[in-house]
Amino acid sequence: MNEQEFIVEMRGITKRFPGITANDGVSIQIRKGEIYAILGENGAGKSTLMSMLFGMIEPDEGEIFIRGKRERIDSPRRATQLSIGMVHQHFRLVSNYTVAENIILGMEPEKKCGPFPMVDIAGANAKVAALSERYGLQVDPTDVIEDLNVATRQRVEILKMLYREAEILIFDEPTAVLTPQEIAAFLDIVRGLRDQGKTVILITHKLEEIKQVADRCAILNRGKLISVMDVASSTTSDMARMMVGHEVSFSTPKAPPHFGSPVLRLENLTVKNAAGFNSVNSVSFEVRAGEVLGIAGVSGNGQNELADAIAGLQRCHGGKIILNGRDISNLSIRERVEAGVAYIPEDRHNVGLVLDFTLRDNLMLKQYYRARFAHRHVMDEIAFDEYGKELIGRYDIRSNQGDATITRSMSGGNQQKAVIARELDLKTPLVVFMQPTRGLDAGAVSNIHRQIIAERDRGAAVLLISLDLDEILDCSDTIAIIFQGHINKIAPAASLTVEEIGLYMMGVKGGEAA
Amino acid sequence: MRLLRSLFFGDRFRMLRASFWALLFSLAAGAVILFLMGKDPVSAYANLLQGSGLLPKVKYAGRQNQLTDFLSFLDAMTPMVFASLSVAVALRSGFFNIGVPGQMLAAGFCAHIVTAALGNVLPSPLAKLLVLVIGIAAGAAMGAFMGWLKDRFNVNEVVTSIMLNSIAMYLITFYINTFYVDPVSRQSRAISDAARLTLSGVRTHGMKADFALAFPLAILVAFLLRTFLDRTTYGFEIRALGLSRGAARYAGISLSRTTLLTMALSGALGGLAGVAYFCGYFASIQPGTVPGMGFDAIAVALLGGNHALGCILASFLITVISKGSVYMSSRLSVEPEIASLITSVILIFSACSASFVGRRGGHD
Repeated sequence: MNEQEFIVEMRGITKRFPGITANDGVSIQIRKGEIYAILGENGAGKSTLMSMLFGMIEPDEGEIFIRGKRERIDSPRRATQLSIGMVHQHFRLVSNYTVAENIILGMEPEKKCGPFPMVDIAGANAKVAALSERYGLQVDPTDVIEDLNVATRQRVEILKMLYREAEILIFDEPTAVLTPQEIAAFLDIVRGLRDQGKTVILITHKLEEIKQVADRCAILNRGKLISVMDVASSTTSDMARMMVGHEVSFSTPKAPPHFGSPVLRLENLTVKNAAGFNSVNSVSFEVRAGEVLGIAGVSGNGQNELADAIAGLQRCHGGKIILNGRDISNLSIRERVEAGVAYIPEDRHNVGLVLDFTLRDNLMLKQYYRARFAHRHVMDEIAFDEYGKELIGRYDIRSNQGDATITRSMSGGNQQKAVIARELDLKTPLVVFMQPTRGLDAGAVSNIHRQIIAERDRGAAVLLISLDLDEILDCSDTIAIIFQGHINKIAPAASLTVEEIGLYMMGVKGGEAA
Repeated sequence: MRLLRSLFFGDRFRMLRASFWALLFSLAAGAVILFLMGKDPVSAYANLLQGSGLLPKVKYAGRQNQLTDFLSFLDAMTPMVFASLSVAVALRSGFFNIGVPGQMLAAGFCAHIVTAALGNVLPSPLAKLLVLVIGIAAGAAMGAFMGWLKDRFNVNEVVTSIMLNSIAMYLITFYINTFYVDPVSRQSRAISDAARLTLSGVRTHGMKADFALAFPLAILVAFLLRTFLDRTTYGFEIRALGLSRGAARYAGISLSRTTLLTMALSGALGGLAGVAYFCGYFASIQPGTVPGMGFDAIAVALLGGNHALGCILASFLITVISKGSVYMSSRLSVEPEIASLITSVILIFSACSASFVGRRGGHD
């Protein structure tokens, strides 16, 4: 009887990826006809959990019950048969097909034209029109996807699920790409779906939306289920505290900082994305010599653009980047390296490293042209070898064939060590770390944190941008919180509590509240 | 022992192994086809070697011997070395230069026109040098134009190079047919012996032989190119760009400059192939066609593992097949197209094995 109450029940779900446990014994129960939110920081395991419900990956341990019956969901196809639908963060639509064609794709209604089966487009259009009428989702079935805005495309994705008669609708960060007005409309749609008897699961880190529509909310942290809360009787502050508030599991020993003069100064820095939207919106701050400035924030609030703009990988559209009194906003990437910017980028596979180069050549990537290593454009192999071996020894980079190892074959931790070794050995006045420990195990993480502190103690200005709040708390002397491309708060680390930072990250507190 | 092990299992010789297997499979496939046609594959392949002057023929015509065959083989191989180097250097930076035929035509044509206009003013060595310089300049200009289109407008270089092949071919055909045709051969007028890069029909030691003066140059250029790619900062940048655009940009490498440089270099090599072909191996240009060697060069570069020295080896092998096929077809009365067939099968196998090797190397 008890089991019949829940349309979805996940029991003791554990999923491990190399070096990380994405879900650790998570159990949730979802009632039919409710809006169930799954809240957590980046990397908390929200998407992983729902990917298992939708059959994209299978759990290592644990059981999934759908309508009280134990099911093995080994593919999205199986999930669809169980009337589970999912709208991914990145829409999966064929952009030069019409709305109706996208919706019926994979289960086209047929009609016979003599001996030949034909797609019944007229029938499909009528059926899509009827569905959109019934659920209040305004779309024209004959519109072509590429002409539609993001919110309409999202409605097409929802109709795609409804056409497949989905009863359990999973949304992965559905409002990340929407404007505030579109968000309001979307939340209305979600309420409408619930009123029609659908069960809705929202993966999100936006507290405001949960407060507005969700009935219950599961909070995940580092793969573990922290709590399931009744939304009506909880405040957003409660939820924020649950989401980020937990003991710091490791800490790096550090001496009190000795701040010098400002090294990096941003003055109203503005960076636009491809759509012309201000990803970084008039950001100003300073980083002094001997200071670690940590930038906390939820993913997608302009952190990547900020780091890339400082390193020169993205154009700045307004404001100034000043390094030791010199305006570097219009310098090329190489000129900035020479001016003294070291940058550990987030994506070490496609940006930080040439994976098919040898370890030695990757260690040389920022210096191969310098007089020490090349004379009249001819590279000095001996100097290369010596320097490569020196860095490998000094930074303890492990690989099976020393400096001749193809970098691709190395472990993620050692690849990151190589990036860090190369950048830190430039001994620049400014070091920008972007997500330096992403995907690494605990040992590697604490090692990198020690290096960050060592850079500070050497007198460098360190800008640490991370989605991992623990990392920010562990290393920073000063913490800035970025929200929607804007620095929402900047204060000495000691003066901020975890709860406060959480609220600023969510935009609950601060100038640009959502 | 260590060398032997790395030859079979090590990373260093991965590409060489891939090429070896591609070649072996292709020759086996060719043997099966020959066998099905009722011919003896062993003697067919022996004929290829005999036709290339690598094995003695049963009998020779007057003033001909194995050495004249081999010299003529080197003459045919010379443009192939340049052409495959052209493809290889572009591939190293991630570009697919399928425009070698157009670059060859343009370079050969320019050299023809300029030397014809100058007449006999220049002494022979200077005329030959001029032909080389024009070849390099014309090819580099075309390559750089492709690179510029790629960099400035992000046009796929495969599309532009196919189009440029046609544009070059039709323009040159028009010009030759209108102003520069030899009424007897229906080809372009022949280049003067003074300017031609091959000394044709030289009577010496009782032989009548062709000496490809550009052959030593081709070998030298291959070695220089290897050093350029492996040892200079430009080569480092080209290789970085070819393996990871994102990382190359991050490292501060100028993508525009590297793209232009690589494509100009590739074009220059294509131009050298053109003058070695139209002003050396041949003395005239046939209007209305593009040199198929420019396309075969892709197979050769892949077979050579995109490595400068590999290209010499692969050019040697492919030229054995194409050059020897004339003798094979006359001896066994099989169609000479069988040689093109084997070359094509090599292309497929080397393309497959290249991706196989690439895939095996990767695990994250």
